[in-house]
Amino acid sequence: MSRMKKMLKYGTVVFASSLVLAACNNGDVPDLDEDTSADADDNGEETAEGDVPEVDEGDTSTLMVGLTNAPDSFNPFYRPGVAGTWVQRFFYDSLLTMPTADSFEPALGSFDTDDNQVFTVTIDPDAYWSDGEPVTANDVAFTLNTIADPEVETTLGTSVAMLEGTNSSGVRDEGTDELAGVEVVDDKTLTLTTKNPVDEAYLSEFLGFNVLIAPEHVFGDIDVVDIPNSDAATMPTVFSGAYKFVEYDTDNYVHFEANPDYYRGAPEIETVYARIMNGTALITEFQAGNLHMAAGGGIGMVPVQDISLLEDIDGLVVEEHPSFNGQYMVINNERIDDPQVRQAFAYALNRELTVDNLLGGRGEVLASTYSSASPYKDESLDPLPYDPDLAREMLEDADFDFDTPLDFVVPTGNAVREQNGDLIEQWLTEIGVEVNLQTYDFPTWLAMANDLDYDIGLMGWGHTVDPNIASYVQTGGASNNMGIEDAQIDDLLDQGMAGTDFDERFAVYAELQQYLQDEMPVVPLYSDSQFAVRVDYLDGGINEFWAGSLHDLHEWTIESQD
Amino acid sequence: MKLKKYIIKRLLTAIPVLLMISVGAFIMMNLAPGDPTDLYVSPDATPMQVEATRRALGLDQPYPVQYVRWLGRALQGDLGINYSTRYPVLPILVSRIGPTIVLMGATLLVSYLIAIPLGILSARKHGTWIDNLLTGGAFVGVSIPNFFLGLGLIYVFSVQLGWFPTGGMSQLGGEGGFISAIHHLVLPVTVLSAFYIANMTRYMRSTMIQVYGENYIRTATAKGLAAEVILTRHGIRNALIPVITIIGTDLPRLVGGAIVTEQIFQWPGLGRLTIMAIQQREYPMLMAITMLSAVVVLFANLFVDIMYAVVDPRIKYN
Repeated sequence: MSRMKKMLKYGTVVFASSLVLAACNNGDVPDLDEDTSADADDNGEETAEGDVPEVDEGDTSTLMVGLTNAPDSFNPFYRPGVAGTWVQRFFYDSLLTMPTADSFEPALGSFDTDDNQVFTVTIDPDAYWSDGEPVTANDVAFTLNTIADPEVETTLGTSVAMLEGTNSSGVRDEGTDELAGVEVVDDKTLTLTTKNPVDEAYLSEFLGFNVLIAPEHVFGDIDVVDIPNSDAATMPTVFSGAYKFVEYDTDNYVHFEANPDYYRGAPEIETVYARIMNGTALITEFQAGNLHMAAGGGIGMVPVQDISLLEDIDGLVVEEHPSFNGQYMVINNERIDDPQVRQAFAYALNRELTVDNLLGGRGEVLASTYSSASPYKDESLDPLPYDPDLAREMLEDADFDFDTPLDFVVPTGNAVREQNGDLIEQWLTEIGVEVNLQTYDFPTWLAMANDLDYDIGLMGWGHTVDPNIASYVQTGGASNNMGIEDAQIDDLLDQGMAGTDFDERFAVYAELQQYLQDEMPVVPLYSDSQFAVRVDYLDGGINEFWAGSLHDLHEWTIESQD
Repeated sequence: MKLKKYIIKRLLTAIPVLLMISVGAFIMMNLAPGDPTDLYVSPDATPMQVEATRRALGLDQPYPVQYVRWLGRALQGDLGINYSTRYPVLPILVSRIGPTIVLMGATLLVSYLIAIPLGILSARKHGTWIDNLLTGGAFVGVSIPNFFLGLGLIYVFSVQLGWFPTGGMSQLGGEGGFISAIHHLVLPVTVLSAFYIANMTRYMRSTMIQVYGENYIRTATAKGLAAEVILTRHGIRNALIPVITIIGTDLPRLVGGAIVTEQIFQWPGLGRLTIMAIQQREYPMLMAITMLSAVVVLFANLFVDIMYAVVDPRIKYN
């Protein structure tokens, strides 16, 4: 027994010690040493590891944001995920901001053109990096040249693909060292020349808004191949945005501190924590009063079925906005090459029921590719109605092979989409189509889709404000994993990109929407609403155009609750 | 000396076992269809851009080369990088071990301190209303899902009453320290303990009932020994061997974490990290977590085997 007592005693001591150690743990955040991380002196005590920032009542200097996706990158040249881009906008500015889907405002620079082909970019004379260096035209030229470098790991090729000297993927022409379409005039001026005249809104969104300008004096000495794994890209230290990056506790939170020298005015709120949690935790944190706002969009998502819980909380503002993104039933056009069959599938699906029941009415049925958030949506085009009898008739008329089951792939990770997959299976079965439903995780499904190893499947598409959907439906498009090869679509897409103003382009894209409904190479399903959730004493937060919501970040304030 | 030799032999045997586990884990991860690179490129990435990312992540090499490179680096303490943020795996892993050990250590300690006496009490009051109550309670504890209990406790004690934090390990800007850690531990430990207490109570009860039926207990009783002496000197000690087996299976959970509970309580531990790594196909992180788990399981088994000998002098290792 004495041995047992000893063991118990030592066990208790070891446990208590570990508890004390954990409590005193002082934040060995991965590789963020004091020399390389942002200057956190102003207010930026690094938080102890495992800390969860909580709202302190009456504190108007700290903003708590709920994020459901972890940021995947702090590298301005490589931003595969939306969360990474959103987080980077706190500390890297772009040339322009987008307060709404159809307006642009100068940020680091402003655009001017007479012919929609040569654009003069003027850099804000007051813009400085957080280390005191001025933001110059050379920083912009360096950023664009780096993105176009064939050796660099980037996700932004399409953002520079309109510039002279690049191929259709935004890669610099072979045998050249610099982009022909980028010319530095002086420290604060440069010109951008596009291959053809373009819609200024297209250039403004893709290059002006999407590209975050990187400091040349930080990244310039790093071999482009080494940039993604460099300290500069993983632990940024020099910023042009309203906030400074302080630390990232992996999958837990990102910590920012105000950049007091921000050229558009020092931020009103000194500290921001973007906390990472799942949708359920997001709700309980709002209920407990621990968050000021949700990041919204696809990265601060409250499950649609739980929105009413938030709406019931006093002092919480919940706004519903249409989303640019949509869900689609993709079709392998090589295997199912008859438009009549594909259209019959659309008639067989009760998409209204999906929106009413699965989304609780918080969404819309898509008539074609664009949702009502897009200014390019043709409002005169209605979705095909639910008509299973007509669907069956059309299939019989097309000599559809009812005996061979269709491989129907549904990716996991989106509960509503998975439930919709079950409904689609049921609806297709009702018209006599045998369906072999398979569920895979997204990477597996993507590999199958890229190999055209399926018949039908479900896929979500993200859209920009610019209506170009070439990557999805153009012959050879990078995300065209449906085997679509249609000269008419290709031609319309080319015409759309050749237009230089909204009206001219709208006519082309309206025709494209009608054509896509007639040919139905992909069945548009629904677009679920986005929700902006914030406390009523936060002046700021997510607005209707989610991607541009951070445009006035430095002006956000938290009213005192005392 | 014999025990020492035995331990050395077991440790040496662990080396090829760990190697085999690493090969198995590596093969299984890479057998999964789909390319993790797809998660780390933009949807409109060109094949050249995809290749650049694949190269940067080290996925462009044949599998045997990838494995040998991983092994070579791992032996030098480099467990690779996170595919997304490109942060080194090792510091992230190390930072998550502490919170998980604290959570699971507190859970197991609280559970054993409550369950063992309850199990003994239940056995001594075998067939009475106390036994029935404890057995019924144990069934409830085993049956109730963690996520349900967790969300229920958060709703009542955090959202409605505000007594405990909704999650995390301590509060930013607060004093922190021991009290704060305890405050944050209460709810997750309660949730996790519900299962362990119930489980251990049932084992302890059934083992003690069995021991109480043994001849040596009858002999001790006939000799006129006090009930407490019979319990402590003859009862508990003989009941400990199966209990140690249970403790042995619980020990790896110290680092395995509690995936669901860590998610619900936003506990920055290994369980939450594992889920994130699986969802994002962070292979280097998954390899590291797998190997860590394997090491702990091997050591826990060794520990249990040694404890058998400590508790039961009849057991000898030659």
